[in-house]
Amino acid sequence: MDEPRDDIDTWLEERVTPLLPRPGTFEQVRKRARRRKLVQATMAVAGAALVAAGAIAVPRLVLPKHVGGAPLAQASSTTPAQQNSPTPRSPSPSASSGPDTASATARPTTVPVVPPNFAASSVTFVSRSTGWVIGQAGTPGHCGPPKAYICTSMAATSNAGHTWYGMPAPVTGAPNGDTGVSQVRSLNGVHGWAYGPQLWATHNGSRTWQRIATDGMRVTGLETVNGVAFAIWARCAGTGADFAADCTSFSLYSSPASQNDWTPVAGVTGLTASGGVPASAQLVLTGIRGYLLAPGGQLFSGPVTIRARWHLVTSAALPCAPGAAEVGGHPLRAMLASTGQGLALLCAGPGSGGTQDKTLYYSPDGGRTWNRAGSAPAQGIAMSFSGSPNGPVMVATNDGIDVSTSAPGSGTLSWRTVRGAGARGGYSYVGMTTAQQGVAVPANTGLDAVWFTYDGGSHWRKSPVS
Amino acid sequence: MGTFRASDRLAAEELFHACYPRLAGWIRRLVDDDDTAHEIASEAFTRLLARWSSLDNPQSYLYMIATNLIRDHWRRLGRERRALRAVSATIPAEAVHHPAQDVDVRALIQSLPDRLRQPFLLHYYAGFPVRDVAEMLGRPEGTVKADLHHARARLRAVLGEAHG
Repeated sequence: MDEPRDDIDTWLEERVTPLLPRPGTFEQVRKRARRRKLVQATMAVAGAALVAAGAIAVPRLVLPKHVGGAPLAQASSTTPAQQNSPTPRSPSPSASSGPDTASATARPTTVPVVPPNFAASSVTFVSRSTGWVIGQAGTPGHCGPPKAYICTSMAATSNAGHTWYGMPAPVTGAPNGDTGVSQVRSLNGVHGWAYGPQLWATHNGSRTWQRIATDGMRVTGLETVNGVAFAIWARCAGTGADFAADCTSFSLYSSPASQNDWTPVAGVTGLTASGGVPASAQLVLTGIRGYLLAPGGQLFSGPVTIRARWHLVTSAALPCAPGAAEVGGHPLRAMLASTGQGLALLCAGPGSGGTQDKTLYYSPDGGRTWNRAGSAPAQGIAMSFSGSPNGPVMVATNDGIDVSTSAPGSGTLSWRTVRGAGARGGYSYVGMTTAQQGVAVPANTGLDAVWFTYDGGSHWRKSPVS
Repeated sequence: MGTFRASDRLAAEELFHACYPRLAGWIRRLVDDDDTAHEIASEAFTRLLARWSSLDNPQSYLYMIATNLIRDHWRRLGRERRALRAVSATIPAEAVHHPAQDVDVRALIQSLPDRLRQPFLLHYYAGFPVRDVAEMLGRPEGTVKADLHHARARLRAVLGEAHG
C-alpha cells in the first residue's frame, strides 16, 4: 500500500525494545494454564457425563519452524553460566501473585536470590526499569556452581533498582591479567556482553554466556546501539586487577548484536599513542554516530552500522589525550561524553591533595571544533564523565558527583555537588539512563550497592544489591 | 491429566523464551507500563497453553490475544477515568504525564474502532503480512487492506487536526 509518509510511519518504524520475562514467569504461566485446563475439563465432564475422563487429551502444541523473538541458546556451543545463587527464595507477600485472574501481576513464584557480599563493578540499563549489574560476590572457594572458586555474579532489576534478583553470570573470575570480566553492557535485556579483559556474550537474557575469542587482545571498552555492538580491543601487558594497564595498541571491532561475529572496523585499527607509550581509548555512541577517542588524542567517527569505515574527524588533536586507564579500562585524563546536543570533553590535570584541575570543552559539530566551556569543581579526582540527554554533564569523582545545572556550550556553567552522596570513596562510574534517571557505581565495591538518581542528579539513593 | 508431557513442556518453554521478550515489548509500547505489559503477556501465554490443543501459528495467536487484552485494558482505564471525573467533577482534570514520545499516536490508535484497530496493530505494528492478518481475523484480504487504509486515513485526519 503506497501511503504518504507521516507521523504514523515514524511511530511504527521505531524498534520494539524487548521486555524480558521476570524470573519464574514461565512456571507461573504453566501452573495457571494447568489450573484452567482442570477447570475446563471438570466443566466438560459435568456437562457431558458420558465422556470418559481418559478421552480428554492433553493439549499438544505445534510449533512453527521459526517463531521469531530472541534466538535460543544452543547447549552444545554455549558454556553453562555461573549461577552463584543456587537457593531460590519466595517473594515478599506484597510481591506475590494473586489468584488466577487476568489482573494478577506477573510476579515470579520464586526469585533467585542475589548472592551475599555483592561487590558491583559495572551496571547497564536498557530502560528506565530494567538493568543488570556485574561484580564479585560470595566467598571465594564457596561460590558456584559450577565452580566454587569463581565468584563472578550478576543481578538484575526490573523496577529501577528497588529490588534485585540473581541471574547466571559468565563462568570466569575477576580481572587478573588477561582473564576475567568486570564490566557489563546490554542492548535490550536479551543481547548482552561482559568484558574487561575477556569478552563474553549472551543472546538469551543472561541465561547462558559464551566466551568470545579475542586473539590475545583485551577488551577495554564496549558500547551498543541500534542492533550493533562496538568494542575496543587492546594489546596490553598489565597484570593482576590492572588489566588495562600497559596497553599500547588499540583497535575497534564491531558485531551484529544478535551474533558473535566480531570484525575490525575499517579506519580504526592499530591505534597507538605518540611514542608508543601505554595509553587508553574511549568509545561513545549516539543513536546514529560513534566516536572513538584514540590513545594519541585524535577523534575518529563513523556511522553505527556494521562494516562502515570510520574516519579521523579532524587532523588536529583534541585539547587533551586519554592517558593511562583507570582500573576498569576507562581513560583518566581525557573523558568524552555525548550530551544530546553535542560532544563534551573533560580534560583532567594531575591530582594533588584530593583536588584536580578539570577543564571542560564542548563541540557542537561532531568534534570538528572544540570550545572551552568552563571548569568542573576542583575537589575530587575524576573517575567518570557522562552526558545527559537534555544537556547537563556529570563528573563522578573519588569524593562525590558533580552535576552541571546547564548544558555545556549554553553559557557559564554552574555546578551542583553531591559530596559523598552516601558512598565514602566516591564513584567509579556515573551514567544517565534518561534526563532524570541515572545510576552510579561506588569506587568502594565493598559497599555492596549502586546508587540511583531519579531527579536528574540532585539526589542519589543507595540501592543495595541484595 | 492437566499437565504437559515433557516434550510439550519443552516446546512451550522454547516458545515462551523465544516470543515473550518481543511480545511484552510490543505490549509495553501500547500501554507504557512494564507491570501491565508483563501482566498481559503472561495472560496471553496462559491462555495459549490452557486452551489450544493444536496451533499452526502460536505467535499470531499470542498477538491476537494480546491485542484483545490491550483493548480491555484501555477500556478499563477509560471507565476508571470517567468514574474519577464523575466523583470529582468540580476538580479540574489533571494533565496525565506520558513520558513516552509516542503517546499521541497511541491515544489515537486507542480511539479507533475494534474493526480497524485490530488489523492496524497486527499488520503495521506486530509486522504480520496482510494475508496472515486476514487469516487471523477471518476476513478477506481485500477487506483487511481496505480496513488498513481507512485506519490510516482516520489517524492522519485526526493527527492533522491535532497539529493545527
